[in-house]
Amino acid sequence: MLETRSLSKSFGPIQVTRNVSLKLEKGERRVILGPNGAGKTTLFNQLVGELRPDSGTIHLDGADVTALRVADRARRGLSRSYQKNTLFDGLTIAENLGLAAAVALGKGQGLWSDPLQSAEVRETVRDVAAQVDLAPHLDARVDAVSYGIRRQLEVGIALATRPKVILMDEPTSGVGPEMSKGFHRLLKALPRDLTILIIEHDMDLAFDVADTITVLNYGEVVFDGLPEAARGSSLLKDIYLGAWEDA
Amino acid sequence: MFTHTPLRLATLALLAAAALTYAAVAGFFGLEILAEIAILAILVIALDLVAGFGGMVSLCHGALLGVGAYAFTVAANDAGLTALPAMILAIALSTALAFVIGAVCARSTGIYFIMATLAFGQMAYSFVFQSPLYGGDDGLSGAPRPDLSALGIDLTDSRAFALYALLLVALAYAVAAATLRSGLGRSLVGLHHNEKRLRALGLTVWRAKATAFAISGALAGLAGCLAAQHTQYVSPGLLSWTVSGEALVVVILGGLGTLVGPILGAVLFVILKHEISALTPYWHAIVGLILIAVVMSRANGVFGFLETRLAARKPQPQVKEAKADA
Amino acid sequence: MTTDLGFWVLQTLNALQLSMLLFLLSVGLTVIFGLMHFVNLAHGSLYAFGAYVAATLSGTLGYWGGFLLAPLAVAVLGAGLYFSLIQSQRRAGPMAQVLVTFGLIFVAVDATRLVWGDLPIGIAIPSFLDGQIALLGVEYPIYRLFIIALGLAILALLTLVLTRTQVGAMIRAGVDNDRMAACLGINVERMFFLVFVVGCALAGLAGAVAAPVLSVTPDMGLQILIPTLIVIVIGGLGSLRGAVAGSLIFGFVQTFGAVLLPTLSSVLIYALLAAVLVTRPEGLLPAKG
Ligand SMILES: Nc1ncnc2c1ncn2[C@@H]1O[C@H](COP(=O)(O)OP(=O)(O)OP(=O)(O)O)[C@@H](O)[C@H]1O
Ligand SMILES: [Mg+2]
Repeated sequence: MLETRSLSKSFGPIQVTRNVSLKLEKGERRVILGPNGAGKTTLFNQLVGELRPDSGTIHLDGADVTALRVADRARRGLSRSYQKNTLFDGLTIAENLGLAAAVALGKGQGLWSDPLQSAEVRETVRDVAAQVDLAPHLDARVDAVSYGIRRQLEVGIALATRPKVILMDEPTSGVGPEMSKGFHRLLKALPRDLTILIIEHDMDLAFDVADTITVLNYGEVVFDGLPEAARGSSLLKDIYLGAWEDA
Repeated sequence: MFTHTPLRLATLALLAAAALTYAAVAGFFGLEILAEIAILAILVIALDLVAGFGGMVSLCHGALLGVGAYAFTVAANDAGLTALPAMILAIALSTALAFVIGAVCARSTGIYFIMATLAFGQMAYSFVFQSPLYGGDDGLSGAPRPDLSALGIDLTDSRAFALYALLLVALAYAVAAATLRSGLGRSLVGLHHNEKRLRALGLTVWRAKATAFAISGALAGLAGCLAAQHTQYVSPGLLSWTVSGEALVVVILGGLGTLVGPILGAVLFVILKHEISALTPYWHAIVGLILIAVVMSRANGVFGFLETRLAARKPQPQVKEAKADA
Repeated sequence: MTTDLGFWVLQTLNALQLSMLLFLLSVGLTVIFGLMHFVNLAHGSLYAFGAYVAATLSGTLGYWGGFLLAPLAVAVLGAGLYFSLIQSQRRAGPMAQVLVTFGLIFVAVDATRLVWGDLPIGIAIPSFLDGQIALLGVEYPIYRLFIIALGLAILALLTLVLTRTQVGAMIRAGVDNDRMAACLGINVERMFFLVFVVGCALAGLAGAVAAPVLSVTPDMGLQILIPTLIVIVIGGLGSLRGAVAGSLIFGFVQTFGAVLLPTLSSVLIYALLAAVLVTRPEGLLPAKG
């Protein structure tokens, strides 16, 4: 469903993505682990087209999308959430979700009707609100809700495009353990045919949702396999401990 | 997102009633002022559409107006078109020009966008100013008013013309409001808040911006046609960036991003201008001081001030609930 | 005519003179923007004020009295503006800044009309800079050469200050990254004030030297504003090198455009600006990488 072949990217002298080859099957849920600065977000940025790789290719649903622009990839069913909230701050939660759904349905340039009033968009808003537990807050403005709810909206907007593949960049970063657990429950209830790639720091939670695990370190894939295998290896501990000791 | 709040609807109704009443009773001078208000109102509706809702603060709207006014005059005088086809042609030209400007400037934001639109506006100004074909510094005269004698209306009469101008304001407002409630209008507001996210959701950003700018340009072109018909004379001064700056001032005084506010702003601005300039030749300075005071007060113009005052009295229940929840 | 060497020398000098005048104006504006992210549309009004002060004082104190006191007067005015308006609008975003300073232009134009009237004021060139000098086969006004020399001197001085002194290093750090500069223990507020006032003084100086060659009118500030903005946008907001490059480009395109392509000349510079904004939205030599 989503594949990269020897993706590489450098910022000046620093190589932040080294020869990364990944392959996600349809419906696969993969978690990316890796210490701060490992290049996880940078990888996402290349996957969605916000950053051009220096070399290598990206394939979505069998087609090479490396040369496509961000919006074109989105229209082919690729969606992402951001590590740092990237919301429509002055609007209500319903409007945030509705706008995302409208654009994804190709109504973002229409002149003759209000997409927010269309049945399709309203249905999407209702469904997504149920999926990420936002139903009670739909009429609240983003700047009036708590950080945790905004975090859920961050993922909700990505879901509202009805993607085939969704990339979530640390969806629970900065929220408490309770809320984080709740969010993982929501994640597990998402449709099984949705392909999901998540960056996550909390290993226990990661093992909880993952079908497969990829570990990045210094921009390089150092592990790619099943959660059980990852849990058994000392690699993860070394990397994280190493990062902690450095810090 | 744009909505017709009760306050907005009430203000619109009040403005319409006042304008119609005034049009019925005013003398020649009053009717001239009414037409002047109408022209400015259409221009600021156009500007608020892109600046207030889309964050595209333009300093070329004067030029778009001027292009409309010149194109109308030239089409009527030299190409021999009657007023209506000439208007359509002129508006089409302003629309096309605005689309190109919007597309080219789509990548720029903030002060760079302001400067880029300024550059295009000045380009049009210099072109008209220098071109002997269009009368240069002297301008052109002889723009006709539409001939509505078939309907029994004589637009050379200033009362009929004022009413016609008011009708065009209503038309411009309807176009702007419909645009804001369309998919494009929703995207436009979204772009203002977060362009990057909207792109990631699949919006072709440059096209949305260019289309919105084109619609705004069409309205500015309409204002230009009306201006040409009103004075039956056009000069390069119409295209000057200070016209755009003044329109921006009116939008700010009225209330940026409220659509109704700028119309109120246009009414106040023209009246103020005539009242103050009757008292002192230094009316620009007074306007400047008012502008500084309004911006520094951080209120969103006259109408924005009213809206926040009313909102403060009636807090939105859902918002409170959500806050308590958090 | 165009094959004649004298023609090229003459026009090159004219272009340089215009460039240097614009440089004096734009350098202050651009460094203020780079440092404080403040867009001061009223910069041209400060220049006009400088011209008026110079014209007024030259009557009693002679040309040099005006020349020296005009920048000072404008600096004092700038300091007043800084504390009354600029400081509070610094974080208000470009829109508010454009509007407040646009309002200031209105006030400034009428204030000059009120004090000095609507009629142009002339100012005499000091006797030893009066007259012409033979240069590479053309007769050229000495006063215009003086403007070129003054511009070059100020450019050299500013380059020296910015690259060789501690204040200069601080300013460069501030343009690069204001938060970092604050972390390094630089008193950012005082630096802003200093740069703003020096920028104003340079605008005043430009007004004083321009006064004898242009006519001093209430709208001279408005007229110079657009060229100044074009210069800093072409050059790249915030950079000294950009201001130099932008001034030279504007001066030469404008001057040679007017003589070689008279029908297109004024459209030419705007087309150039549009081309720059489209291909390099941050200008040719932006301050930040
Ligand atoms: N635009 C950029 N220019 C230069 N360096 C960058 C840029 N973006 C990221 N980097 C650097 O690339 C490296 C990888 O960054 P990235 O954000 O991908 O890490 P990450 O794995 O997402 O870390 P975290 O867990 O903290 O989110 C970091 O050293 C970062 O400083
Ligand atoms: Mg990251």
